[in-house]
Amino acid sequence: MSTPELARSRADWGRLGEPKTIGAAGIAAGVLAFWLTLPPLKATSLVVPVVVGLVAVACGGWAVSAGAKRVGWGAVAAGLLGVGLGIAATNSGRANLTTTFAWSALIASMLVYATPLTYAAMGGLWSERSGVVNIGLEGMMLTGAFFGIWGADKTGNWVLGLLIGMGAGGLLALVYAFFAIHLRTDQIVGGTAINFLALGITGYLFIDVYGSNGTPDLSTGHWLHGQSIPDIPISQHAGFFQTAFGDLNLMVWVSFAVLILTYLIVFRTPLGLRLRSVGEHPRAADTVGISVFRTRYAAVTLSGMLSAMGGAYLTIGFVHSFNQNMTEGRGFIALAALIFGKWRPSGAFAAALLFGFSSALAQRLGTVPHWASYAVLFQALPYVLTLIAVAGVIGRSIPPAADGQPYSKQ
Amino acid sequence: MTEQGDRERGAEEAQREVVEERKGGDYAPSVADSLAFYQRAGGIVTALMTAVIAFLIGGIVVLASGSNPFSTYKAVFNGTGLNWLFPWVTGATRATAALNLQQTLLLTTPLILCGLAVAFAFRCGMFNIGGEGQYIVGSIMAVWIASSFVKMNGPLHIVLTIVVAALAGGLYAGIAGFLKATVGAHEVISTIMLNWIAFWVGSWLFALGGPLQSKANGASVPVSNDIVQSAHLHVFWGDPVLQGLHVGFFIALTGLVVYWLTLNRTTLGYQVRAVGFNPEAARYGGIGVARNYFRAMAIAGTFAGLAGAIDVLGWEFRLNVNDIQVSNIGFIAIAVALLGRNTAVGVFFSALLFGALLNGTSTRNLDPTVFRPDLAGNLTLIIQGLVVLFVGADVLVIWIWNQRRRLRPGRAAAVPSP
Amino acid sequence: MRGLAETPVLELRGITKRFPGIVANDRVSLDLMPGEVHALLGENGAGKSTLMNVLYGLYHPDEGEILVKGKKLSLGSPKDAIEAGIGMVHQHFMLIPVMTVAENVVLATEPTRGRFLLDYAEAERRVRELSERFGLAVDPTAKIESIGVGQQQRVEILKALYRGADILVLDEPTAVLTPQEAEELFAVIRSLTEQGKSVIFISHKLHEVLEVADRISVLRRGKLVETLSGDGATEESLARAMVGRDVLLRVDKKPSVPGEPLLVVDGLHVFDSRGLEAVRGVSFDVRAGEIVGIAGVDGNGQAELIDALTGLTRASAGSVSVAGRDVTHASAKHVLDAGLGHIPQDRQLRGLVLQFSLAENIALHDFDKEPNSRLGWLHPRVLISRARTLLKAFDVRGGGAMTRASALSGGNQQKVILAREIERNPRVLVAAQPTRGLDVGAIEFVHRRLVEERDEGRAILLVSLELDEILSLSDRIFVMYGGMFVGEFTPDVSEQELGIAMIGGTVKGAAA
Repeated sequence: MSTPELARSRADWGRLGEPKTIGAAGIAAGVLAFWLTLPPLKATSLVVPVVVGLVAVACGGWAVSAGAKRVGWGAVAAGLLGVGLGIAATNSGRANLTTTFAWSALIASMLVYATPLTYAAMGGLWSERSGVVNIGLEGMMLTGAFFGIWGADKTGNWVLGLLIGMGAGGLLALVYAFFAIHLRTDQIVGGTAINFLALGITGYLFIDVYGSNGTPDLSTGHWLHGQSIPDIPISQHAGFFQTAFGDLNLMVWVSFAVLILTYLIVFRTPLGLRLRSVGEHPRAADTVGISVFRTRYAAVTLSGMLSAMGGAYLTIGFVHSFNQNMTEGRGFIALAALIFGKWRPSGAFAAALLFGFSSALAQRLGTVPHWASYAVLFQALPYVLTLIAVAGVIGRSIPPAADGQPYSKQ
Repeated sequence: MTEQGDRERGAEEAQREVVEERKGGDYAPSVADSLAFYQRAGGIVTALMTAVIAFLIGGIVVLASGSNPFSTYKAVFNGTGLNWLFPWVTGATRATAALNLQQTLLLTTPLILCGLAVAFAFRCGMFNIGGEGQYIVGSIMAVWIASSFVKMNGPLHIVLTIVVAALAGGLYAGIAGFLKATVGAHEVISTIMLNWIAFWVGSWLFALGGPLQSKANGASVPVSNDIVQSAHLHVFWGDPVLQGLHVGFFIALTGLVVYWLTLNRTTLGYQVRAVGFNPEAARYGGIGVARNYFRAMAIAGTFAGLAGAIDVLGWEFRLNVNDIQVSNIGFIAIAVALLGRNTAVGVFFSALLFGALLNGTSTRNLDPTVFRPDLAGNLTLIIQGLVVLFVGADVLVIWIWNQRRRLRPGRAAAVPSP
Repeated sequence: MRGLAETPVLELRGITKRFPGIVANDRVSLDLMPGEVHALLGENGAGKSTLMNVLYGLYHPDEGEILVKGKKLSLGSPKDAIEAGIGMVHQHFMLIPVMTVAENVVLATEPTRGRFLLDYAEAERRVRELSERFGLAVDPTAKIESIGVGQQQRVEILKALYRGADILVLDEPTAVLTPQEAEELFAVIRSLTEQGKSVIFISHKLHEVLEVADRISVLRRGKLVETLSGDGATEESLARAMVGRDVLLRVDKKPSVPGEPLLVVDGLHVFDSRGLEAVRGVSFDVRAGEIVGIAGVDGNGQAELIDALTGLTRASAGSVSVAGRDVTHASAKHVLDAGLGHIPQDRQLRGLVLQFSLAENIALHDFDKEPNSRLGWLHPRVLISRARTLLKAFDVRGGGAMTRASALSGGNQQKVILAREIERNPRVLVAAQPTRGLDVGAIEFVHRRLVEERDEGRAILLVSLELDEILSLSDRIFVMYGGMFVGEFTPDVSEQELGIAMIGGTVKGAAA
């Protein structure tokens, strides 16, 4: 009939009017409705967010009627949210808004909160890509947190502290791996056990070693030299860039490296291909001579080490002290980020940033009168979003095919 | 005969393939397969072995930190008040033991109910990690209703509170069941998310400026209003001022009976068990699998919500943010259900075990000259973790059991292949 | 094409493989010449798969040895087999759906760039080169899940070739292919042998074997019956060697007195779980007082047909009625209520809840009806007493009403299912492979019982892979092939004729 070129050009023209594109534009408009009311633009009139938001709703409505239901409803939701938040923003005091939305500081804060999540989510990615569900991330993180600061304290060297923390996390992961891989324990039961164990062991040792005084405060005195992970000053000029990125902890930058390396190894090297094949179809991997057990042991152990890095960053890079159960569910947020990001490094990182941003915003809100209580509520956001994600509303999250299934050779 | 056997084997292979195919694409395999194993493996022997191994390793931990494990466990035991059961304990010791035992049973009560919440879902082939969230939701509803309607008749108020809280817990768990039944979202992920949502929403409700925060004391404390005096549950053993044992304990015991009856004596329980053991056969038999996933999850949540209500009406009387954040009843309940092998009797005894352990190692009950109570709380967590770890690894436990047997001459035992 | 070289490229000598209680391979000897296609023919369960698993290092033979190019091999794992130049194309593809063709092919022997990175361009180039050389057209960048089954099979072949295989084992390669795809596969096989590769071709379809094979070996009950030259073999001689039996289990039965049609199926189409059309326009009826048998090789749509009849899957087109009631879109429960009994193909996966007691299993369909329960309350005593009566009536041994189903032997398990289904007094009884894996005594019991139920006036649909079962029980016989009924026969048809129809051969004297 028609030549391929003709068909393609038709498709190009057609794409602009496609329901999906319109729906996506609607979502963008919904976000815009809220953003316009925030610094630096700070639209003060109610009209702005309402009009832009309604455009979003309209786009969404049209997209739904044209068949792109998922994107369409997304746009409608975004539009309504945009209008709501926009109205709230225009009604609230200017001063409050400026305090809350100091973007540069917010970005710095977002990165700080996202970093431990990134480490643990990358850890989870290794494990789950190899086919072992890891809900023990929380426990491995906590282990890294305690042993990181313990090591730094005893050796007086944060590098050794970090390594000791990673070693401890890796060891705990190895125990989990033995139960999950060799003994074919239910992986959810095993992961739950790991979380209990980590909570007990770190709590026990913390009190046994440090008693009721707690760990020494790392933010003062000699601790600044050697025992805590240094910040990296990269810019002297005051300004947006300086506040946002100028004085981030070394571990924040390392997390970027871990992210990129994880992506490269898992998706661009033979090793990664083998890892993923074990997680997708272990028997197929086995028949071409890949050792399923060895691959899974290595992946789970690495998973523990990476999670422990996230934990160690918390104690010797960020908070500068340890407390019982100080990870407070960060391991589970990391798991949520992994699922939300569809088991991909970029997706998981984006989710970690989103969740980090919500934490940063919550922390900011906490300092604003009248809004303080909502700061707490904000913490639930990552979980709500993930619940919506697993419900399939915004694109189904599909795990590696063999995730959670023990493997046996006949 | 050869041909027959060959055919049979072929059938088995085909079946294995089907089973594997069925599992494909799920986040974690259904617990249906492991459930069957948990139900049958070794009966009470493996459960006891699991506990013994966990306590042995716990003892080694105690030893490593320089205390005597025997005297430590003895002190923990005395702290639980279980020595009250010995007739030779008399006088002041007996009075103390009674007080301690009341505390132990006070902790056992919610553990029984939350344990049932985990167990009931398990019997339908689902892993309910969300007992904690359902418990929190139940507590919140209970404190809200019991602190409102000030003029209501006491018993009616109690009944209303309990019913609403239990239903709220059921609905909350029902979200996970609904998502599994409709879009196939794995209940482990959704219940984990629901736990943390309950955790933060609960923290927000009673936080400074939160909607349910008490306005007393100039609204400076992150705590709810006190519940109405007439909505307190009756204390039948011990002093109400010293947190005696309230009638909620009997509600928990009734819960055990209801659990057993529902599973074994109703058509509902029949369906739940059929789906839990073999969803494919259930479907073939005309049972709606998706519907039962929802129902079982909702019923499980009802048990946990009930636990929350009873704790609030029985001894907490108010909720503060910290109560919500440090509570881990719903998580210990996982260990309770697994160790109790999801049976009513098993859940009772393992709830008692963990209730006793929690109370015996608490700061106020453990003799500080024998072992540091602040360490003991963490020892409990370690033992708990070990129990769950080994409960999941029946293969290992049975193997250890058989090694012991093998040492005795003349009683060779077959080692099950893993 | 005939192998002219003196040493065989592969030699199996006296391979014996025993499993507990059975001998799956009994002193099987076989050789393969360079450039030869050697077909292995046999029924389901004849021992073909076991033999190939031995060859691929998945099973260790109890006796016998394997020689590749005259050298003795000990195969410990698939890896050893790969290194020896043996490539296997499994019946169930070992492919990863979310990965590309190239990724699947190079897995575990990937080309690299700059030492660490996987060289995708090179991988694609090599795959393209291989596929051109052997005429296996496939796009290296396509994802497996987006290409058809025929192409997936080519990827499997490419995987083997990429690993340097000289000996290719194709395990029932055409089972999943359309006739056109099968033709394309034969062309590929020819091009492979022209370039010196040798092929073991496992099949139970006669005409294919005759079309591609240079030599044909027939396996029956674990033993190699004979090896024929491809030129000399005929459909008849092969069918006899393959299905020929010494003993026929004949059942005494009166001629049937068919009444009104109770199960009426019209133009039924059903898709399988992979979205392929497994049943393609099947129409038939089963009348009261007759047994209609459906014969066919496994995987020709029988399972999907049964699922659609019993309400376990939805038919995409056509209609089904049971005793005059339309149940085309009814749920399993409604179909059962309409008067259908179903003896499922798989006892343990579907027919029984193994952890339930026999009393509970017997109540599987009607636990929620009186007197088994009232207002949601079960009456265990009723269940138990009913179970006792039934267990006695059906002579179930090895356990009582409270015994767990898993504790019974296969034959007794099947009796329990039979008891449950028959006690409901269904108008129509669907029996899918009712004697699979049973011993002779149990088979006799099931057969006798089915005939009795026929004489009671039930309409019985029997689906079986066992030819003699079909022949001895049925009053009418349909043969199912490729999702369609390819012939209708009377029970006096010979096994060979039926056998030929089952494997897609030319049908003589079919009355369809």
